[in-house]
Amino acid sequence: MADLEAAKINHDNHLLLDQSCMRLPYELLRQNFRSFHLPFDKGSNSVKDLLKETANGSLNGKVSPEDVVKNLDQMLAKMRGLKRKLAVAADEEDRLYRQMDARVAHMRELASLNTVDDVKYEGWSRQRLDRLLVDYMLRHGYGSSAAALADAREMQDLVDIDTFATMSRIRTSLERGSVQEALAWCAENKKELRKMQSNLEFLLRCQQYIEMMRTGVHSQMLEAINHAKKHIIPYSDTYPVEVSFMAGLLACQPNTHLEPYASLYSSSRWETLADAFVEAYLKLLNLPMTPLLHIALSSGLSALKTPACHSTQSQGADQPADGTSSTTTTNDNNTAAASSSSSSSSAPQRHPPHHHGTASLTTRVCPICSTELNALARNVRYAHHSKSRLLDHDLVLLPNGRVYGRARLDEYAAKSGLPPGQVKDLVTGEVYPASELRKVYAT
Amino acid sequence: MDSAKEKLTSLLDELSKASKLPRLSAAAQDVDKIIELLSEAREQIANGMDPHMASLTMTKLQNPIRTAFDKVNDSLKAASSTHKKIGRSLDKHFPLKPLPSDTDTMAKHIPLINRAIAMHLLREGQFGVAATFLDETQAKHPSSASSRPDDRMVQDGDEAVADGEDGMDGSGDADFSMLHSHELQDRFTEMYSILQELKTHNLLPAIEWARANSAELEARGSNLEFELTKLQYIWLFKGPAVNGLPDDENNGQIGALTYGRLHFGRFQGRHMREIQRLASAMVFAPNLPASPYHDIFSIDSAFADVASSFTREFCSLLGLSAESPLYLAATAGALALPQLLKYTLATRARGTEWTTAQELPYETPLPQSMLFHNIFVCPVSKEQTTAANPPMVIPCGHMLAQDTLQKLCKGNRFKCPYCPSEGLLKDARPVVL
Repeated sequence: MADLEAAKINHDNHLLLDQSCMRLPYELLRQNFRSFHLPFDKGSNSVKDLLKETANGSLNGKVSPEDVVKNLDQMLAKMRGLKRKLAVAADEEDRLYRQMDARVAHMRELASLNTVDDVKYEGWSRQRLDRLLVDYMLRHGYGSSAAALADAREMQDLVDIDTFATMSRIRTSLERGSVQEALAWCAENKKELRKMQSNLEFLLRCQQYIEMMRTGVHSQMLEAINHAKKHIIPYSDTYPVEVSFMAGLLACQPNTHLEPYASLYSSSRWETLADAFVEAYLKLLNLPMTPLLHIALSSGLSALKTPACHSTQSQGADQPADGTSSTTTTNDNNTAAASSSSSSSSAPQRHPPHHHGTASLTTRVCPICSTELNALARNVRYAHHSKSRLLDHDLVLLPNGRVYGRARLDEYAAKSGLPPGQVKDLVTGEVYPASELRKVYAT
Repeated sequence: MDSAKEKLTSLLDELSKASKLPRLSAAAQDVDKIIELLSEAREQIANGMDPHMASLTMTKLQNPIRTAFDKVNDSLKAASSTHKKIGRSLDKHFPLKPLPSDTDTMAKHIPLINRAIAMHLLREGQFGVAATFLDETQAKHPSSASSRPDDRMVQDGDEAVADGEDGMDGSGDADFSMLHSHELQDRFTEMYSILQELKTHNLLPAIEWARANSAELEARGSNLEFELTKLQYIWLFKGPAVNGLPDDENNGQIGALTYGRLHFGRFQGRHMREIQRLASAMVFAPNLPASPYHDIFSIDSAFADVASSFTREFCSLLGLSAESPLYLAATAGALALPQLLKYTLATRARGTEWTTAQELPYETPLPQSMLFHNIFVCPVSKEQTTAANPPMVIPCGHMLAQDTLQKLCKGNRFKCPYCPSEGLLKDARPVVL
């Protein structure tokens, strides 16, 4: 049956949003290893070399015992430095493994479930929402909120606060007009950035050059030329056009209107740089470019949305929680009650002024109609269905043109304390004798 | 058949195994060893300061240091190979699939998303997080609260601009200004304190709330007030041994009787039969479990039940659904994402996008529990009915879309496509599902 099929969890497809959650610890493990390994290699080589040199020198009498001790102190200092670096990297690695274990445990919960109707699924999915929220907050720079939510839910190991804190820090420094932090990051990840053909470092170097030119001071401009020789000219094969623009910039004042030089001098270039950095940073870690919540919402809002959710002509009938419906519904009632002679109700028809469209215990408020998402969902398309999907079976038509499931009408009549043989409209509250109901078929 | 599940399980098993394999920390021991060797040699040489002794010590130092460095390198290699193993497991069982992110339609509506998140946090009872979030979003977009009304005007060119405006007790829309006046927060604080009391089996605050909102609840066809009153009666009836309340004239059967006399009166119209049952149970008090009334007096899940219906009613009166819409939307999003992905890949390959402006071009099946409106697809045209093309009931009781009916018509008459009966167009009527 279609419903059972729809409720079944396909563990492969179900985790599209959770790919980065599972992969990031791995990416960070490698990054952590790289950032430790290179300096360690260098350091240990220099210790080895010095050791050999000293031993040889001592053997052929060129190095005095005093100098041997001095050299040994130097080696010791270096080794202690490397030891500290190792301890830092090892701690970080342990933390990343702890995160990986926590995420494995989190995914195991899902692996044990077969259908979304399983009671345990809700708990898992709620935790996923919390993860998506933290991801959203981090990417939009709401760092304190993200940390507060992660703490409140005790899920620090399931989210990546540090990774995004680093990103935010560098992004902010770029937005404030400083390239140092970003350049340092480029240096740390030189090889990987080259592998993915990122032009970030080139852009940053150009910006340094532009800033020196902007000063208009002779010495600074000379330095700019030296800077260009060292850091920009080497790119002339990769980015010939841009490099020639940089050369052309020599002839232009910062207040020029000539393009592309005006844009190069523009302060908005810092935002472009910040964006380019974020893109490179996310790409390097294999993280998606958009907040996961955006993806989940644009897919989910459409899937849940029906033509009824924003329909204004439907007299509020199909929009339980939507504020619009409550006035229209009440109006509808009054006219309907006035014209309807069939309502032989003994129970009083009460419609308090703020009666909220939706009717009964048995009506669930639609998430798209609910205040939180209604305006947001206005911008998405509604779901496509090729088959009718009805909440009730055994449909009956009331004289006012509204169709309900028979069982639901009976339940509502009982709850409203109606005498047997009468039913009450779940939305409008009109009361009719059961004999006036007509069966209808959706085939 | 379920290879996807097996794949996930193998991935998780392999990752768990990898986390027990050698790590960087294993290298520490040999680094310490090197430091130890170097300092030993240093002490020896510094003590004697004899050139011959120095060169001898240094020569003897070479091999152990080299061995120790080799060991460090082995440890580093082992740590790195653990990483590679993890990478291979991920690539094999969980290959990276790109997400559809070329058109981020949500990026234009950050203030609306922020509002939804703030309301979600409040309804989850995360007041501290919500306060932090509101402060932070305000600091980042100082104008978002004031710019929201414009935002709405732009989006809601139509009558729907009144959306939610006339809701809840004239308190206005639950928008950012409401969040900031702390009104919504106060409501949810009230809800949580009542729920907290319910958890400790104190029904009185909930009863008080239900009584204050009695008219609205009744109009919704909610029995909450009566259910709460009834539970209080039963709770008192059970006496001090069960309810732990003071053993006085307000507790036990006498207390229940007094309570019932005082409060059941107002429910007599609607719940006479049940009140009679509750009262008659007094007679069987010595041996209730064997009486015909045992079912109403077993209240194992009663407190949890009233708590969940209280939450539902409380949210409904605020115009909010009982379950967090954000939760439902995110969950539905995860369920529908594979279809979206498949569609974007297919259209990108073809370089075309065929679409009706308002309807998704592909199906996103959701479980029944995520269905909130009736969906009627005309069995003839296979089109979903809308306000412009509503479902019609024809005299034989079959339903068709209005457009379909128009096409079926010959003059004023049509024949039902599902049964032998014929009808007149004027006898068909639009219905609301």
